Amino acid sequence: MTPILQITDLTAGIEDREILKGVSLTVNPGEVHAIMGPNGSGKSTLASVLAGREEYAITGGTVVFRGNDLLELSPEDRARQGMFLAFQYPVEIPGVSTANFLKTSVNELRKFRGQEPLAPAVFLALMRERMKLVEMDQSFLSRSLNEGFSGGEKKRNEIFQMAMLEPILAVLDETDSGLDIDALRIVAGGVNALRTPTTATIIITHYQRLLDYIIPDVVHVLWDGRIVRSGGKELALELEKRGYDWIKQEAAEVA
Amino acid sequence: MPQAAFNDVIKRSFDDLSKRLNGSASGPLHKMREAALKSFIEQGVPTTRHEEWKYANVLPFIGLEYSRVSEIAKSVTEKDIDEALGELVSVLESGWRVTIVNGQFRGDLSYLPAAVTGVSVDVLSDKLIANDEVVRAAYGSVAKSDAHPFVAMNTALACDGVVIRVAKGSEMKRPLHIAIISDARQVNVLTTPRILIVAEEGSEIDIVETHSTIGDQQALDVSVSEIAVGSNAHVRFHKVADDQDDSRHIGYTAATVARDGRFTSHCINIAGNFIRNDLVINLADVGSQAYLYGASVLGGVQFADSHTVVDHAVNNCHSEELYKGIYDGSSIGVFNGKIFVRPQAQKTTAYQSNHSVLLSDKAQVNAKPQLEIWADDVKCSHGATLGQLNDEAIFYLRSRGIDADKARALMTYAFVAEVLEHIDHEGLREFCEKRVASKLGTEPLSL
Repeated sequence: MTPILQITDLTAGIEDREILKGVSLTVNPGEVHAIMGPNGSGKSTLASVLAGREEYAITGGTVVFRGNDLLELSPEDRARQGMFLAFQYPVEIPGVSTANFLKTSVNELRKFRGQEPLAPAVFLALMRERMKLVEMDQSFLSRSLNEGFSGGEKKRNEIFQMAMLEPILAVLDETDSGLDIDALRIVAGGVNALRTPTTATIIITHYQRLLDYIIPDVVHVLWDGRIVRSGGKELALELEKRGYDWIKQEAAEVA
Repeated sequence: MPQAAFNDVIKRSFDDLSKRLNGSASGPLHKMREAALKSFIEQGVPTTRHEEWKYANVLPFIGLEYSRVSEIAKSVTEKDIDEALGELVSVLESGWRVTIVNGQFRGDLSYLPAAVTGVSVDVLSDKLIANDEVVRAAYGSVAKSDAHPFVAMNTALACDGVVIRVAKGSEMKRPLHIAIISDARQVNVLTTPRILIVAEEGSEIDIVETHSTIGDQQALDVSVSEIAVGSNAHVRFHKVADDQDDSRHIGYTAATVARDGRFTSHCINIAGNFIRNDLVINLADVGSQAYLYGASVLGGVQFADSHTVVDHAVNNCHSEELYKGIYDGSSIGVFNGKIFVRPQAQKTTAYQSNHSVLLSDKAQVNAKPQLEIWADDVKCSHGATLGQLNDEAIFYLRSRGIDADKARALMTYAFVAEVLEHIDHEGLREFCEKRVASKLGTEPLSL
């Protein structure tokens, strides 16, 4: 089985500061990986590097996504190849309605795959269907993208976009932060409904809470720019119970 | 001295006109021309030392040799006009067109509402001034010569202008297009189109004013439109600058709004080299309202200067203003928005906002909101912002498969579309959206 994503010894940083100090990770089709870790361990940097944020400098290692060198691809090409990042802080874009934005986005992806643009009626019907996954009201379609949305609405909108774009690999960056329990349940429900045997999900989170709803196949602990421990879903529960200090201690002893 | 040479051109044109008038040189219109000429010479051609003309440098083109209007052959055909107007022809084909070529009304090139009641179009003449009290009261008093040097110049030279009257209670369903053409195919021309619109009590009309240059010689188009909005009447005025790349336009639009009347203005600047628009609105009676929308989408070496004035002369009037601009290349934009609230204008509500985005290091915008409020029980606000596109937003769009250029185009288009969406006339709105989108390298958003 060819992995969807293969990260090998990745080192990266920002402004001369090294944040990722050798991350290796293999994600296979059908898998859900959770990456946990205390603040400042490099979780968001990993998400940013995968999405292609230009302010991060890659200093070493490789990232292969579906057989291609991911690091060579522009952010838009990563999306076209099937990568999706659910943003920790989705951006408000005044004047661009959610519907128009998604139409442009979906059709760009279709164009890349050599498909015709979707007919407006088909597209509208698809949007209506997928919105139900995250219990979003249709009125959001005509509103400016994320403008004036509550924290929960923004996160639901991210999952709605994911449902529309049907990525091969979805990276959810702290999607659970700032969500109340109902919104968390809805967001998780959406992600679960989108799980398929041929696609994969990476959930980046600080808390175990989201993993009560989205059951991961593998849990990794990121500390000081390295994955210091990997295990099954029970690792998340242990972290919840014991905190991160014992991991830090163990990591220090190894070093 | 280009100013002196220009003054000579104006004086010679005036003398020329006086000779051509054949007896009507003693009529009221020509009396006004004489006074206006005097006022123009007194005010002089403004230089950039003049506060109102700080960024609008007219010296480079007032020194040109301009031929006098009377020397120009009347050879413009309907085909020429259709070519100059391009797609606008089909956009506005259901409406009426008043055509003005080199400042003169051309009935033969106009489609007038002959069988339609409610609108009339006449040539501005001494006879009309003598017989029509409303025209007499409005002409030259809505736009005053002493307030602006180019209004004075226009008034001194305007001949065969147009008077459009919308009769009491008439709701005109079709737009009236004023197509102003400068024919510069043979020689440089200086044109002075003059328009007076009188919308009587309770009437309603859409006016679309366009300025087009034909030919490769230089044209300087100095136009004045006066609009008297009657009580409870509603005039929606649209001015679309989408002319040849080297065209130059100095325009002055003045409206006075009577009790409970409404004046809505849309000024869209897309193509043209030098565009100066003054828009002066006098909210003259209780309950009158003004809505001012403006959008400039500039690139290259384009210059567009929007000077607006809203004068709240009495109590309980309302004004809202939204002007936006996108500036690329080494283009220059100017926004100067004045709001006056006179001491007696209590319970005024006046809101102004002006937002600009610079797309290049060489582009510049000069924004100056100017609120002068003498009444104390009012609600007034203004906001001006200047920025670049939000990088985080561009990244967000890119991460959804939209390339960087398209992401920028989408965002700039959306920025301007917020102004265009206020245009009620569907065809015209779509036309403007299409032109703006094409200039920004995208297509209109359609859902």
